[in-house]
Amino acid sequence: MAFLIRQQALRGALPRELLAACAISLNSRHFIVLNRPPPNYPGHVPLTRIEKAGLALGSAVMSLMDPHRGDLIAALGEATATPYFIYRLRDAMLSDPTGRRILRDRPRISSKTLSMEYLRALPENTVGRTYADWLDREGVSPDTRSEVQYIDNEECAYVMQRYRECHDFYHALTGLPIVREGEIALKAFEFANTLLPMTALSTFAITTLKKNERDRFWKIYLPWAVKNGAQSKEVINVYWEEQLERDVDGLRAELGVEKPVDLRTIRKAERERWRAEKEAKKRASDSLGIN
Amino acid sequence: MAAPLRPTSLRNLNLLLRTAPRFVQNQFRAQSTSSVNPEEVSHFNALASTWWDPHGSSRLLHLMNPLRHNFIRGCHASQPKPGPTSNLRYLDIGCGGGIFAESAARLPSTGSVVAIDPSPEVLAVAKAHARRDPGLQGKLTYLNTSIEGLPQPESVEEQYDVLSLFEVIEHITHPADFLDTCAPFVKPGGWIVMSTIARSWTSWLTTKVVAEDIARIVPRGTHDWEKYINEEELRGYFLRERGWNSPRVMGVVYIPGLGWKEVAGSEKVGNYFFGIRKDEV
Amino acid sequence: MKPTTASARTRQLGNYICSSCSHQLRRQRRGYASVTQSIKPSIYDVVCVGGGPAGLSLLAALRSSPATANLKVALVESQDLSKTRDFLLPPNQFSNRCSSLTPSSVRFLDTIGAWKHVKKERVQGYTEMQVWDGISGARIEFDWHAEKEAGRGERPIAFMNENLNLTSGLLKRIDELGGVEIMDRERVENIGFGEESEEVDLRMWPVVELNGGRRLAARLLVGADGANSPVRAFSGIESRGWDYERHGVVATLETEGSGWGGDASKTAYQRFLPTGPVAMLPLPGNYSTLVWSTTPALAAHLKTLSPKDFIAMVNAAFRLSPVDLAYMHTQASGQADEFSWRAQHTEFDMQRIPQKAVGVQEGSIASFPLKLRHADTYIGERVALVGDAAHTIHPLAGQGLNQGQGDVESLVKTIEFAVTHGQDIGVEMSLEQYNVERYAANNMLLGVCDKLHKLYTVESGPLVGLRSIGLRAINSLGPLKAFLMAQAAGTGVKIL
Repeated sequence: MAFLIRQQALRGALPRELLAACAISLNSRHFIVLNRPPPNYPGHVPLTRIEKAGLALGSAVMSLMDPHRGDLIAALGEATATPYFIYRLRDAMLSDPTGRRILRDRPRISSKTLSMEYLRALPENTVGRTYADWLDREGVSPDTRSEVQYIDNEECAYVMQRYRECHDFYHALTGLPIVREGEIALKAFEFANTLLPMTALSTFAITTLKKNERDRFWKIYLPWAVKNGAQSKEVINVYWEEQLERDVDGLRAELGVEKPVDLRTIRKAERERWRAEKEAKKRASDSLGIN
Repeated sequence: MAAPLRPTSLRNLNLLLRTAPRFVQNQFRAQSTSSVNPEEVSHFNALASTWWDPHGSSRLLHLMNPLRHNFIRGCHASQPKPGPTSNLRYLDIGCGGGIFAESAARLPSTGSVVAIDPSPEVLAVAKAHARRDPGLQGKLTYLNTSIEGLPQPESVEEQYDVLSLFEVIEHITHPADFLDTCAPFVKPGGWIVMSTIARSWTSWLTTKVVAEDIARIVPRGTHDWEKYINEEELRGYFLRERGWNSPRVMGVVYIPGLGWKEVAGSEKVGNYFFGIRKDEV
Repeated sequence: MKPTTASARTRQLGNYICSSCSHQLRRQRRGYASVTQSIKPSIYDVVCVGGGPAGLSLLAALRSSPATANLKVALVESQDLSKTRDFLLPPNQFSNRCSSLTPSSVRFLDTIGAWKHVKKERVQGYTEMQVWDGISGARIEFDWHAEKEAGRGERPIAFMNENLNLTSGLLKRIDELGGVEIMDRERVENIGFGEESEEVDLRMWPVVELNGGRRLAARLLVGADGANSPVRAFSGIESRGWDYERHGVVATLETEGSGWGGDASKTAYQRFLPTGPVAMLPLPGNYSTLVWSTTPALAAHLKTLSPKDFIAMVNAAFRLSPVDLAYMHTQASGQADEFSWRAQHTEFDMQRIPQKAVGVQEGSIASFPLKLRHADTYIGERVALVGDAAHTIHPLAGQGLNQGQGDVESLVKTIEFAVTHGQDIGVEMSLEQYNVERYAANNMLLGVCDKLHKLYTVESGPLVGLRSIGLRAINSLGPLKAFLMAQAAGTGVKIL
């Protein structure tokens, strides 16, 4: 019965993105696996709704177990971005003049479009130099992001791609390191700012953190993330390619983002303290003659 | 008479006496020569000031007026040979504040309207109201008299095409004599049209109990149920007198909120129109 | 002179208090105006103030009906009616004030003999309506489907017509019949009451005083003089309502073709944007008329745009998302470029939206404020109100002018009844039937259009989904849709 209604709606062929949040399912273009429509852009894989749901579930579970599986996280992000959230993000870009320019120009961030030598040569405290320093410190390159496959709307696929590629810039902007704790803090910030569901789902990974890391998250980083993410301007609208030579603090001030307490410094200090305690205990047990 | 007294008043016995020899009739004939009942006159004088208030106690009369014209049109349409369609002369007896008289004077087919009423206050209201409409000038004449006071017509031109007695006859003490007096004023081929109320338990209930006492849409004391006449009595009276033909009846009912509506058969129990045509010579 | 409520009360009391007392009251009020009242007024049965579609229709109907043909009637109009008489535009130019005429209005105009004088080559009947929600895309399609299926050809839903075409046709009919004293280029200086004289008492008669000193005493004064009716002010009838804080922007557009169905099958389009509905209504050939209800600021912005950018905004209004539209409204220029970019990335079904506009007629872009007004009653002693003087409505359902024609039809019927039953046509009791027949029906229509407007200004939340479900539901319920269409056409069952 529902299938027949969908077929009738298919014949109606109503515009897809003009859907409300409380979506009426009769209007989504539906197809069966035996009759896949052609891709809307290179790399596009159209999925049925059941397939999307399966993908979301599977990738959520697997990426919790192994957070280094970037491709699974990417798939989770794409599967959960529709029906509403990626459209909202795209509309947020359309509401902003810079965001619109980005959508028109469609810039891509890769080692081909951004020259690392040029970035390293920029003065201290510029956006570009901070970004390059961060890439070097964490040992990553801008090419580690996978292509968007499962979002049907071509423009929204670009938005997702752009978000993914800018992720490293967000690291540079906030100074959070690539360790699990830092990633989770950044994801919390991204959720407050972009509202993509995948970012919220990723914060469930705090279950895999150690207790002191979790405490730090609740006490310091979650409040910071919520406050800054919600209050600041949409970071998706930053035209990074144009901001490379700008002073990073100036950019932070314009966006309304505060740099949180440096996590690497805290962790290093913590490790030193822990090592010192261990040393002290060992010396104490030695003097008592216990091996 | 051995039969128990049915709702037939002494007054109607008068009608039946029309066939009796004259000496018998003289026994029962009223002493005064006027048809006017002084109590009725004073009652209507008191109503004079509200006559033209569309939401006052005369509202029902205003609402009924269009039906009077429908009825007259029906009478004229029923004539085997169509009569004159212009310059018609109307005589409205018991015109009251002039609701019908004014409306008759406005019709394009009307030549003139003479309207009479015995009550001076009501007639003053009628005259004052008629002055408000320049279109009535020259077409409408009011006279403060009863029918007996009107000079008899001397020629056909002075007689009237339509003699109207709307809501009048039920206020007349001796209707038979009264109708006798009216007859000479009608042209040959002309009509007497009247509206009145049938004398039945229903009409007693609706016009006395409901209209006067409960809903108070008719002023108290307006109607005397004893004086209501049934249409067969009227018919009987006219047709027995040689010289009249084509009786027409139309029963009407007042429905609050909707107004007066024509209801066939309601002439037996409530308000009705009655028309009768004088023989053409 | 604006009458105080005291005067209204005096008139109402006129039947209760004796004439000398009411004379006293009136004399007190009239003190400063007595000088000009020396000129004896000419007496008319009907004086109609206002020569728009409602007023002209009334006079044409009164003259063409045999029952009322003997009434002495006059028309007072402040504009020059020769412009209306001489209305003549080439086939590629259309006036920007157009209205949709329902079949019921057309039938009435035909009955009074005016429709034959309306230039048919400038009238466009349309057989389909596409109405959709700008946020959710929920759509409802109106057409007399059953007739099409039964092979009886396509029955028009309504007819788009320039207002000037209609008034010019009505004026031709009036000239053809004659008997109307037309006083155009005459302003109404004052409306007061008449005096008492030897022969006649005109103290209850409204007297219209014209600029030149001429005085017209009216048995029935009809106010067909628009939303700010002086006749209504004279009668003391209040008109209540609110402003929508919206302006209606109108323009005459040229589209790239004569419609997806060609000349034989024209479609009217309306999209509900959060700022208000935008409608493109077909005219003959490749032309259409635009009615875009939007906020005053946005309306002002639209009027500053170059023709190219204006056309881009119009096309965007029917195709792009409200987010894009909001952005384009902030641009001073360059909308054409913006539109062509965004159109590539927005999905829409071309066949179910209007064809692209390619040109706008020079000088045809204008705007007017939208409001809702309803007079407390349409009648007073010797006063009747018709058309915009009685009610003002939101244009989203195309009903305003048709309501006026309905008023006129009803008033003429009421006057006919009064004349054939010898009643004084101006007396309030004679006019009651008109008020009863029209007031409730108009009230309902005003209310419905008002609620629709409010419903569709909501941009997000559950109401969007609910109204979309509702619209789709009605779209699929054939009998209900047919009922609504018949009601809008004026041919349906009378429910009020």
